[in-house]
Amino acid sequence: MSDEQHEPRAPLPVATLDDPQLQFSAKHPRRIENLISLSFLLGMICMGGFGAAFWQNWKPWTLGATLGAGMLFLGFGVISWGKYLMPQGPFVEERHVLASTEAERDAMAGAIVERGTVVVRSRRMMLGLLGGALGVFSIVAIIPLRALGNLPKTTLTKTNWRRGSLVVDSNGRPVHRDDLQPGGLLTVFPAGYETNEQTQAVDQTVLIRPQSDNLVTEPGRDTWAPDGYVAYSKVCTHLGCPVGLYEEELKILVCPCHQSIFNVLDGAVPKFGPAPRPLPQLPLYFDGSGYLRAQDGYDQPIGPGYWERS
Amino acid sequence: MMRSLPRALKHRAILPAALMAVVGLGGIVTFASSASATSSGLSSLNGAGTEGTAHSPAAAKQPPNTGTSNSSVKVYKNGKLVAYGNSAIRYTYPSSGYIPAGQALFEEFCSSCHGASAEGTVRAPNLVGLGPATIDFWVSTGRMPAENTTAVQAPRKPARLSDHQAVEIAAFVNSLDPSEPAIPVVNTKGANLAVGAELFALNCAACHTITGAGDELAYSTYAPSLRAATPTQAAEAIRTGPANMPRFTGNLTDAQVRDIVAFVTEDIQHAANPGGFALGGVGPVAEGFVALLFGVGGLALVGFWIGDRS
Amino acid sequence: MPLAIGKPRTKREAKAAQGPYGRLGSVIGELDDRLGIAKGGRTFLDKIFPDHWSFMLGEIALYSFVILMVTGVYLTLYYVPSTAEVIYHGVYAPLRGTRVTEAYASTVNLSFAVRAGLLMRQMHHWAADVFLGSIVIHMARIFFTGAFRKPRELNWTIGMTLMLLSLANGFIGYSLPDDLISGTGIRILYSIVLSIPLVGSYLAFFIFGGSYPGNEIIPRLFIIHVLVLPVILAALIGAHLFLLVRQKHTQFPGKGKTEHNVVGSPMFPTFIAKTTGFFFMVTAVLALLGGLAQINPIWQFGQYRPDKISYAVQPDWYMGWLDGVLRIMPSWEFTGFGHTIPFEVFLPAVVFPGIIFTLCFGWPAIERIFTKDTAIHHLLDRPRDRPKRTAAGAAVIALLFTCFGASATDVLANFFNVSLNVVLWTFRVLVFVVPILAGFITWKICLELQHGGTGLGQRKRAMVVSRTAAGEYVAVPADVRPGDERHEIDAVPVPTHIDLDDGSVEVGAGNTRPDADGVRRVIR
Repeated sequence: MSDEQHEPRAPLPVATLDDPQLQFSAKHPRRIENLISLSFLLGMICMGGFGAAFWQNWKPWTLGATLGAGMLFLGFGVISWGKYLMPQGPFVEERHVLASTEAERDAMAGAIVERGTVVVRSRRMMLGLLGGALGVFSIVAIIPLRALGNLPKTTLTKTNWRRGSLVVDSNGRPVHRDDLQPGGLLTVFPAGYETNEQTQAVDQTVLIRPQSDNLVTEPGRDTWAPDGYVAYSKVCTHLGCPVGLYEEELKILVCPCHQSIFNVLDGAVPKFGPAPRPLPQLPLYFDGSGYLRAQDGYDQPIGPGYWERS
Repeated sequence: MMRSLPRALKHRAILPAALMAVVGLGGIVTFASSASATSSGLSSLNGAGTEGTAHSPAAAKQPPNTGTSNSSVKVYKNGKLVAYGNSAIRYTYPSSGYIPAGQALFEEFCSSCHGASAEGTVRAPNLVGLGPATIDFWVSTGRMPAENTTAVQAPRKPARLSDHQAVEIAAFVNSLDPSEPAIPVVNTKGANLAVGAELFALNCAACHTITGAGDELAYSTYAPSLRAATPTQAAEAIRTGPANMPRFTGNLTDAQVRDIVAFVTEDIQHAANPGGFALGGVGPVAEGFVALLFGVGGLALVGFWIGDRS
Repeated sequence: MPLAIGKPRTKREAKAAQGPYGRLGSVIGELDDRLGIAKGGRTFLDKIFPDHWSFMLGEIALYSFVILMVTGVYLTLYYVPSTAEVIYHGVYAPLRGTRVTEAYASTVNLSFAVRAGLLMRQMHHWAADVFLGSIVIHMARIFFTGAFRKPRELNWTIGMTLMLLSLANGFIGYSLPDDLISGTGIRILYSIVLSIPLVGSYLAFFIFGGSYPGNEIIPRLFIIHVLVLPVILAALIGAHLFLLVRQKHTQFPGKGKTEHNVVGSPMFPTFIAKTTGFFFMVTAVLALLGGLAQINPIWQFGQYRPDKISYAVQPDWYMGWLDGVLRIMPSWEFTGFGHTIPFEVFLPAVVFPGIIFTLCFGWPAIERIFTKDTAIHHLLDRPRDRPKRTAAGAAVIALLFTCFGASATDVLANFFNVSLNVVLWTFRVLVFVVPILAGFITWKICLELQHGGTGLGQRKRAMVVSRTAAGEYVAVPADVRPGDERHEIDAVPVPTHIDLDDGSVEVGAGNTRPDADGVRRVIR
């Protein structure tokens, strides 16, 4: 260590067992010794219990209880030994100055600067080229990161809802006009896309029937909610949690994650909470057999905001 | 060749070869049968099993899925519909003999808020035409008679009226305008807990939480805990959608409702909790509290014991 | 070690050749010949550790980390980091026959079908929570006592980095089982990355290998969680401890304690005994929690699917402050010039933690600007002696705990039977009021304590009130408590040799012994 810069310390006299610093802190060492011995014994038993619990495949809590109790006794014993039956000191140790002398610091700096200068003196261009090569490498080394994933392109803006998409639930069953009564709620997908997790993430739509007559949620959406069946994107516009919480008397959708509240009757405009935009609405119609279909896809990207979203 | 066959049979490798052939055949047979068992397991997931060809439904209107009398086996007595349903759930109408008793109870406990003919007043809604299941749910869970008529949501409390009295009142109110749904009697034998768990997560967990603990929703409403619900009450709630709860009618078959109810009564109300104390099923908030208080706090106390206090 | 001249011929000679310390002595001799460990080892054994209890908080973190590594290795033997779908055929009935990912199935299998699997999983998770909790209070102790000042700024930076990486590793760890609740957290992570202006969508696509959810994220998180971050953490912990040993521990001011010494108990035997016992205690607490308190029962939550959600979802406690800020932030989204910046996500989830961590990392520099103090400090401050620093720390801690409280708005509304909307608005106000109030009150308390309070390093002495025969009351300070007497003893260096009185060890005159050549060598 840094003993070299100091003279060897004067030898210390031999300590004896009577020295005040070597005394234990326990006033009744016998008692403590017995307690510690008992503790170790109990610890042994508990550890044995752990072995038995494991071997016999007892309930999981017995494994934790025996291991924990065993360790507790062990720890208590060892700590008590260290605290009550070991020299309590106090002992002191000198701090050596960490810093080296001025001369040593100069020597180190000098070694770098002077030897370096000898090597690179009047070889600036070489040095510059080396720097350039390393710089190009460090830039080029980033390029393989491109292989981590695809570029976003239009993936963020598109869902699989198209004109005429059949509305189905998560088991693939189409939704008929008579299926939901007022107050009903269902999670739906475009037919064919209900089992794939990748498409579920973007296509998921919440279908609600707050009333039995036609519902106009916003101006210009006269035909979007026939017979009261209204569909909104289930992906919250805040952070993308599925907005599956519907309170049918209050006619609100509440996002379970951060409690944004959307009114179902007026286009899912957020009334409270951190969500910034309404949930996009899916226009619906009934086909000839009375099954629900989409008039078109969503008119805007679903879900949370991002830079390219205009 | 025929002459060499007996000699071949005496070859010392014949026994091992025969054993291998038998084992191999057995393995193939087992594998084939388990593969088909797997696929039948899969098909049971399609809860709406009868609507397997759902992707092109234009041909025939699929059977209604509403748990109504239209979709079930019906039982008549004296020309009146007394029950409908299937092996999973049997919906029973209360006997008309209960009507006088029900009327008396209604006059005493309900008419002051709901009106003499259950037509509703400023304090309480109209009860006519809601079906006996609705009435039975509110009275048997103790929510009605309500103690505080100005509360946003009537809480579950120890029922003031017995289950039989609840059925009598339901009989009377239903007699004013006989409607559906009738009181469901759930047969949880043969329920598919996996389907129940899946549907619970999709339809119920968003309000009641995945552990059924219940929680506060918006504007002083709340989703109650499911710990005390009987199978009948759970099925009634699902089919009638009390208060802010959505009404699940056409989108869940009776078998699916039975599966959800079985899941609630078995796995939610009697969760195995092999890991130890469940900490109320509240989740990471309670876990963090325990970790900081008992874990870090406890160990800090041990450190306090070990070290100096000055 | 006496040099042997020729082989020892008799047993007695052989024993004598081993020297006064017998077998152990010859072993040390052999090692020393090869590694030169005797001198450094002796210095190591003499190392002094100050005894204050608050210096043990870092050890809680260290030993929790050890438990994490041990239980973690066990978990890696059974966990499968794959999102490929399988049919679950295991013990837990409500999942039987359902399609789940291999990650989820392997975790459920580990919990139910592997002996001690559930204990290991729960111990691992509790250890992670306790690890981060102990890091926080250890960091608080360092902060409030000023242990981050010169020459320990580098150690502070290493410690802050450890905290940051541990936070990340914890979040990644509980997301590996791909259950409903942690999967929701991953969806939120994706949206937070998406919200970063300019590069958000590219970053999100690169991290996730495409659009959400993709099949890459679980395997990638797995390798980060079990290899990349643990290696970095282990290396940084090593560096953290090395600096501690090299620079020696700080100590509170007191009798006999100066800037140029360390007073306390020696490494061997006292400190090693106490710290080993403490390790057993940490293991005990984590084993008891792991066995008796259920944590993260993923089988109840079910497999994650993007259209499923549960109410009352919060992240683990150390991420709670981020969830809280996300809830209370008003919905300010900027749309214009063909672009969107979702400030309601970007500000609370990226900018706010960025500010907090920059503040923490840069605190030694910030304090140096204000105090203009560039001296070396080995003596600690009592928090009350630096009221401004203590108040600033209290304010930040109060802010973070308020944010944590805000993540439980629904649980609190349920518990106190109050409207959710009221609770949310309350937190919007509290997040400004509480830190200011906490800082101000802390400052005042510090000033108050500075004027009152007992002398350093002493417990209050009781006053013994006695009544004289004349009826007068006299108050006399009680005798010094036995435990405090210790501090009346002077501290001495660790003795080189102890005379054991029973002749088992021969010790020569003073502490020198002649070797076989008759040369007296100074032992220390």
